[in-house]
Amino acid sequence: MQKIEKYSVIVVGAGHAGCEAALASSRLGIDTLLLTMNLSTIALMPCNPSIGGPGKGHLVREIGALGGEMPACIDETCVQMKWLNTSKGPAVRSRRAQADKYLYRQRMTQTLFTAANLTLRQGHVTEIVVENGCVAGVALETGLRFSCDRLIVTSGTYLNSRIILGRASWPGGPHDQRAATGLSESLQSHGVALRRLQTATPPRILKSSVDFSKLSELPGDPESGGFLWENRLRHYDRQISCYLAFTDADSVAAVRRNLSESPLVLENITNDGPKHCPSIDRKIIRFPDMVKHQIFVEPEGWQSEELYLQGLTTAMPPTAQKDIVSSVKGLENAVILRYGYAIEYDALAPGLIRKTMENRAIKGLYSAGQLNGTSGYEEAAAQGLIAGINAALALKGRPSYWPSRTNSYIGVLVDDLSTWQKPEPYRITPGHAEFRLTLRDDSAERRLTEDGYRIGLVNEARYRVISSWKMRIENELERLAALSLFPSGETREKLVQLGTGDLKKRVSGCEILQRPGISYSDVKNLLGENAETWLSAADEIYSIETEVKYSGYFEREAENIVQTRFLESIRLPLQILDQRLKVLSPQTIELLTSDKYDDLNQLVRKNCLSRSELAILLIVLQKDLTAVGETEVLND
Amino acid sequence: MSKVRTDTIAAVATPPGRSAISLIRVSGPAAFEVLNRIFKTGGKKTFPLPHCAYYGSIIEPIAGLIADKVLVTTFVAPHSYTGENLVEVSTHGNIVVVSKVLQIILQNGARGAEPGEFTRRAFLNGKMDLLEVEAVSQLLSADSMSQARLALNQLDGLPSHFVGRIRAHLLDHLVQLEASLNFPEDAIEAIDEHILARELKKIRAELQIFADNARNGSMVAGGLKVALLGRPNSGKSSIMNYMLGRERAIVTDIAGTTRDTLEESLMIGNYAIKLIDTAGLREPGDRIEAIGIERTRRAVDDAFALIGVFDGSSQPDSDDRLVLAELDRAGKPCIILRNKTDLPQQLPDNFFGGRDQLQASALNGLGLEQLVASLSALISQSGLGGYEELVLLGAQQSAALERALASLDRACAGIGRMYQDMLAIDLEETVRELGRVNGETVDVNTLDLIFERFCIGK
Repeated sequence: MQKIEKYSVIVVGAGHAGCEAALASSRLGIDTLLLTMNLSTIALMPCNPSIGGPGKGHLVREIGALGGEMPACIDETCVQMKWLNTSKGPAVRSRRAQADKYLYRQRMTQTLFTAANLTLRQGHVTEIVVENGCVAGVALETGLRFSCDRLIVTSGTYLNSRIILGRASWPGGPHDQRAATGLSESLQSHGVALRRLQTATPPRILKSSVDFSKLSELPGDPESGGFLWENRLRHYDRQISCYLAFTDADSVAAVRRNLSESPLVLENITNDGPKHCPSIDRKIIRFPDMVKHQIFVEPEGWQSEELYLQGLTTAMPPTAQKDIVSSVKGLENAVILRYGYAIEYDALAPGLIRKTMENRAIKGLYSAGQLNGTSGYEEAAAQGLIAGINAALALKGRPSYWPSRTNSYIGVLVDDLSTWQKPEPYRITPGHAEFRLTLRDDSAERRLTEDGYRIGLVNEARYRVISSWKMRIENELERLAALSLFPSGETREKLVQLGTGDLKKRVSGCEILQRPGISYSDVKNLLGENAETWLSAADEIYSIETEVKYSGYFEREAENIVQTRFLESIRLPLQILDQRLKVLSPQTIELLTSDKYDDLNQLVRKNCLSRSELAILLIVLQKDLTAVGETEVLND
Repeated sequence: MSKVRTDTIAAVATPPGRSAISLIRVSGPAAFEVLNRIFKTGGKKTFPLPHCAYYGSIIEPIAGLIADKVLVTTFVAPHSYTGENLVEVSTHGNIVVVSKVLQIILQNGARGAEPGEFTRRAFLNGKMDLLEVEAVSQLLSADSMSQARLALNQLDGLPSHFVGRIRAHLLDHLVQLEASLNFPEDAIEAIDEHILARELKKIRAELQIFADNARNGSMVAGGLKVALLGRPNSGKSSIMNYMLGRERAIVTDIAGTTRDTLEESLMIGNYAIKLIDTAGLREPGDRIEAIGIERTRRAVDDAFALIGVFDGSSQPDSDDRLVLAELDRAGKPCIILRNKTDLPQQLPDNFFGGRDQLQASALNGLGLEQLVASLSALISQSGLGGYEELVLLGAQQSAALERALASLDRACAGIGRMYQDMLAIDLEETVRELGRVNGETVDVNTLDLIFERFCIGK
């Protein structure tokens, strides 16, 4: 009889979710097996060659703060680094990196192979073994079996995936990989409902066939720093530019004359795709009057001869793609190396995932990434990290890690995801976060590194150095509040020089910094104290200026945060239903006692409770929640 | 998901007491089934057809006894008051009969409605918005023409439309702003902050007028408060008694007897007036009096208008001067009344510094008709007259409106100087609070709107 190898945690899939999950679990000391269908395509970026942007970049920062790998990997392997939204305010500004896809894969693969407690194997999982409602292991296509206590499935877009190119269609995964078969049916047989989603990617063209003189250059930003806290002040002197092209009336005409071959029109694919990256076909159909669409021409690596055409996603047949690409000024003679295509795949039906990334249907099963109905490498990595952490914590008998909407984009992501009902993949943007001033890019470590340390992914040394950085900022905020500037002739002279008004009475350092046009260094000059007590690091000064200048906004946000945190602290389902709650409608009682939501804040956010019902509920619960002791909600 | 309860409710809709006809409403998905069990039509028409009236009997199904001969009217969802299937049963007005019929209905599949539940369902089913709900409850308790008219204004949904329009405007700007914040590289037209600043100021001004109308509205709805102010024993209580036509306040000739503010309602023209008798204003003699004087101050601050009462038969003293000073401090519409004109006059005319005064003798009612006429004139001059424009808001809504104004103020002050992400926070809050004013929606999903409006897809 075959001896079945046993691992505490098995991760299925080595995309961005799988890599983070496997690393988190193994770094927490849990023996972990990572199974992938192809060891040569670990951490593949089958679509855009970039990481970051508003919301996404925040996630990457937070992954780093908690002790994940993505930021370290992209910081080392990017070909361009750039700040976005700098003029629009601290809440939305974010980094974005262009990746060397090949280096990124190599580095991540290396990291996995050198990680302690982590085993990698190539294998196509076709079956989940469930015993007594609990995950027990997996079976492979080859007949091999592995047993485990916790299983993390990160199948990306591979489950029963189908490639669509015009009228043609065949089973297959992205990047000419195989489709994963069998696993869908196995999940379904254990009560896990699935749905079909689609996504698509644009054509790649040969660099030497592009006339760059007709495109505008988009260089990177050498001063942008990296995603990882340790790289925050890093210079990126050597970078490759992106380029910007535009469609025009000719391109629109080209799309129109080929529309009959678009899968959108042919309807040979599900319509449930990502709203935020529509195909060029869809753009032309939905916005018929718009002629000028942007096309970002992006490098795929230092050495790569391929360019990615962001904005020109399509799954029309090759002749149509050629027609459309060559209609774009600068791409007239472009040689298409790989055609764009659409892919349709199985994802979990809504309502199956907890905020911990555990499945509601099968105990011990976790999932992350596109299987959960998200889109994007960053979203996948963040979920993988949470799944890996929670699988490991469960095995150690420790309480789960529930990220909160009030302290991270990761919290927003997992919370949104566990209640996401829309027929489209989820992508994070600042628009999803209600506390986005608090969840700023620069505050990630102040919000999360403590969590990472307690979980065990941030080691003592790193925790100490980040803590002292955090203390420097927080002490300086206190110091500024206590500093005084008094009206005097000399002060007036200095204030006039700075272009701001005179003082009537004593003001604090914070109050003077709040004035428009006054910077931290101005305050330093005004108060003229000995230089060594003042901060000099640009990132620390930035955090201080932001928090002082917008303190009114922070205070209002803080009030709502208290409320949300309180509602989040009431976990569902309620274990005991107080008799007095019988006055609530049967539907509400059902929501409170069935395992459909994770916490009370979700019910409130989804408008499942009327104000009076919430009031009744809180009055009743208050008795048992004296420890939490927040009553603000009642007054709302 | 729907928040509407799906059970069936019943209640007597007409006020208790003897009347020719009483009305029982049954609303909910099972309304027709309930009636089917207990109602037998007299005619050949099948029951229940939608929107029909039937004459027949309510029969207690177990005993088979007729409880009453009734008229039953059917309304089919969503074309009913509540938006659900609804049956109105008109019974004879006898309280015993009404109770019996309701009891039978409740024993056959309906439950007793909670106070306001019909209206709440109407709201939840989108039959009326929050402002209209507020109006219904006010209409039911309105006791003056102007109050009723105000409530009807509300039912027409005019204020809701106004708030809805303002909110839609702001949401438009917010969506544009959010689009550029969330998708910086999708060629979304940059915000022209000068134009936006102008727009916001305009909206701010419109919203301020609305808020003023709401403040006036709540003043009219609650009855216009008129405070009687005067030193002890100047005759305020007698005037009040005369106005009300009955004994209300304790009238003695010992100064300081009226220690609390007393409130009574009366009608002047179309307006409900709340006449408030205050404990006099004087240097307090003891703690109880001090409390009374404190209350007087508060009554003055809350009042719409003031009546200063002075004893014409005695020399002015420091208390009289206090009263006069208080009238000046308040800066509200006021009437100066020289009382006790039946006695020899000691109070010199120049004490009032050329202000108009009314002459009256509360004791025998002389001159008090003139006081009513003056009050009526005050109201019509106050600008409250056009109650077509007045708005009625509940406490929650008023608070939401105040918050909306405050955040819009911040947006107006910050635009051009503040980062756009802060501006978006203020606008979002304004939009959210305005949504609470008319209950349109709690959830502002700007992201969905961005995708509707802009071609996103960098």
